[in-house]
Amino acid sequence: MNRPKIKTVPRYNKETKERLYLPAIFAGLKITAKHLFTNLSDINAVETLEYPEEQPTDITPRYRGLHRLTKREDGSVRCVACFMCATNCPAQCIHIVATERNDGIDEKMPAVFTIDTLECVFCGYCVEACPCDAIRMDTGIFSVTGKRREDFLLDRDRLLSHHNAFGEDTSDA
Amino acid sequence: MSTPAILVTLAVIVLAALLALLMIPVLVWLERRVCGLIQDRLGPNRTNVFGFRLGGVVQSFADVLKLVFKEEYYPGHISRGRWLFIIAPMITFASALLAFMVIPFADDVVVYGEKLRIQALPIDYGILWYLAIGSVGIMGMILGGWLSHNKYSLLGALRGASQLVSYELALGLGVVSMILTYGTIDFNAMVHWQSDMVLGFLPAWGALVQPLAAVIVIVALFVETNRAPFSVAEGESEIVAGYFTEYSAMKFAMYFMGEYIAMNTASAVIITMFFGGYQLPWISTETLREHFGAIAWVLIVVLPVAVALFIRWMKRNNTVRPTVATDGGRNFETKILSRVLIAMTVVIELILLILSFLPADSVGTSFAVTLLQIAVFVAKLMVFNIFFIVVRWTLPRFRYDQVQTLGWRYLLPLSLLNIFVTAIIVVGVAS
Repeated sequence: MNRPKIKTVPRYNKETKERLYLPAIFAGLKITAKHLFTNLSDINAVETLEYPEEQPTDITPRYRGLHRLTKREDGSVRCVACFMCATNCPAQCIHIVATERNDGIDEKMPAVFTIDTLECVFCGYCVEACPCDAIRMDTGIFSVTGKRREDFLLDRDRLLSHHNAFGEDTSDA
Repeated sequence: MSTPAILVTLAVIVLAALLALLMIPVLVWLERRVCGLIQDRLGPNRTNVFGFRLGGVVQSFADVLKLVFKEEYYPGHISRGRWLFIIAPMITFASALLAFMVIPFADDVVVYGEKLRIQALPIDYGILWYLAIGSVGIMGMILGGWLSHNKYSLLGALRGASQLVSYELALGLGVVSMILTYGTIDFNAMVHWQSDMVLGFLPAWGALVQPLAAVIVIVALFVETNRAPFSVAEGESEIVAGYFTEYSAMKFAMYFMGEYIAMNTASAVIITMFFGGYQLPWISTETLREHFGAIAWVLIVVLPVAVALFIRWMKRNNTVRPTVATDGGRNFETKILSRVLIAMTVVIELILLILSFLPADSVGTSFAVTLLQIAVFVAKLMVFNIFFIVVRWTLPRFRYDQVQTLGWRYLLPLSLLNIFVTAIIVVGVAS
C-alpha cells in the first residue's frame, strides 16, 4: 500500500477551558487593564520620550547622522575631491566641483561639495568609500528641518562646521 | 400637553442628541488615549486651546476640522449613483443615531399629572425599534461597498453583510430570551424589573439573572457595531479598508462617527438590558424618591472626596517629568481646572443641601432623582464604552471563517437552548 506521506500536525488547545475562549479573553483583559491603570496612576512613568523637550539619549557613535567633512591638523579641508563618494552614492546626492590646491599640502580640493539631504538615503556608503577619512556621519544630528528646499542642501562650509558628537575628534590626528 | 411637559420633552430630546453626538469626540479621544496607555505610550496629548489640553480631547475637534476642510474626492469610475454613494455613509450614521433615541435615561417623571418618558422617542416597544433601526446601518455599508466599484470594498461589504446575518440571529434569539424573562419589550419596564433583587441580596440585573444571554447578546452587539475582534468588514490587513476604501473627507468621517455612535448605542442597550439601566444597584426609583434626603447626604459626603481625589490625581499626572524644562502651561491648566471643579462642587453641594430638606413628594425631589439617574446612566455608559475600547485593544481580529463558525455553530445553538430553558422556567414559575 503506497499511501502518500501525510504528516498530522497536532492540534493544541482542545481542552474545554481553552475552547470556551472566555477565560482567555478575561486573562487578556486583565493584562491590558493592568497596563492601563498602572500607566494612568503615574503617567510620567510611561517610557515615551517627550520629544522635542526630551531628546534621545541612546544615539551611539555608530549612528549615521548628518554628514560632516573632516579637517586636517591645520584646520583645512581633508577632502581631496577624488569623487569616490559621489561615484559610490546610490542616491546620487553628492555634487562636487574640484579645484587645484596651491598651498603645498595637497594637489586637489573641493571648491563645491554639496549634499542634498532630500535625496540622501543615509546609507553611509560615502563614508565607506572615502580613502582619506574625509567624510563622516558621526555628528549625531538626526533631525534635519527647513522651510525651503535650499535649506536641505548642505554646502561645503556647513559640512565643515559640523562636529563629532561622540568624544574626542580623532579625524585630524 | 402643558408648557412644562413640552419643555421637559424638548430637554430630553436635546440631551439624547448631545449624549450621542458629543460622545463621538470623547470616544475617539478615549480610544486613542486608552490604546496608548495599554501599549505603554501616551497617545495624543499636545493639542490645546490657550494652553488647555483637557488631557488631549482637543485633538478630536482638530481632527474634525481637518476632515471638514479636506477635498471631496470621488473616484472617477463612479459615474452613476453618485448620490447613493454620498447617502450611504449617512444611512449608517443616521441609523446608529436613531437607534440611540429609544434608550431611557431616567425613570418616568410626572409633570402636572402627565407621565413623561425620559426617552427622546417616547415609545414602549424600544427593543423592537433598536433591532429594526440598528440593523439598517448595514445598508449603508453594503451600498458604500457596492457603489465603490472596487473589489476590496465589495468584499468588505459582503463580509459585513454576511457577518450581520449570522449574528443578528443570535442577537435576536438572545433578546427573545430576555423578553421572556422580563415579560415586556419596553426598555423602561425592563429597567423596572431589574430594580428588584434576586436570591435576597443580588440586584436583579439581567447579567446576573441570564448570564448566558448576556454573553450572547454582548458578543452579537460587538459584531453589530463592527468592532474588533469582529471588524472583518474593515479588515485593513487583508482588504485595505473594506467598504470605505474609496471614501474620503466627511463621507469617511460619517462612517467613522457612525461606528462610534453604534458603539455608544450598543453600550446603552447592554446597560439597559443587562446592567440595570439608569438604576443604582439595590435602589429602585421609589426608594430613591422616598429617601432622597438620606441619599443627598451621602452624595454631599462622597462628592468632595471624589473631587479631591481627582484633583490630587491631576496634580500628580498633569505634569511633565522633572527633567523637562518647560511644562507647556500644564501647572496653569491644573490650577484653573481645580478651581473650576471646586467651585462646581460647592454649587452642587449647596443645591443638594437644599434638596435634602425638601419633602419626598415635591417637584424638586423628582427632578433631582431624574438628574441623579441620568448621571448614573452616563457613568455606566462610559464604563461600557471603555470596556468596548479595552476589548478592541486586547483581542486580535477573528479570521473570517472563525467569525462564521462562532456565530452559526456556537452562539445560535446556545441562544436556542437558552430560550428553551428560559421558557420552561418562566412557564414553571407562572403556573
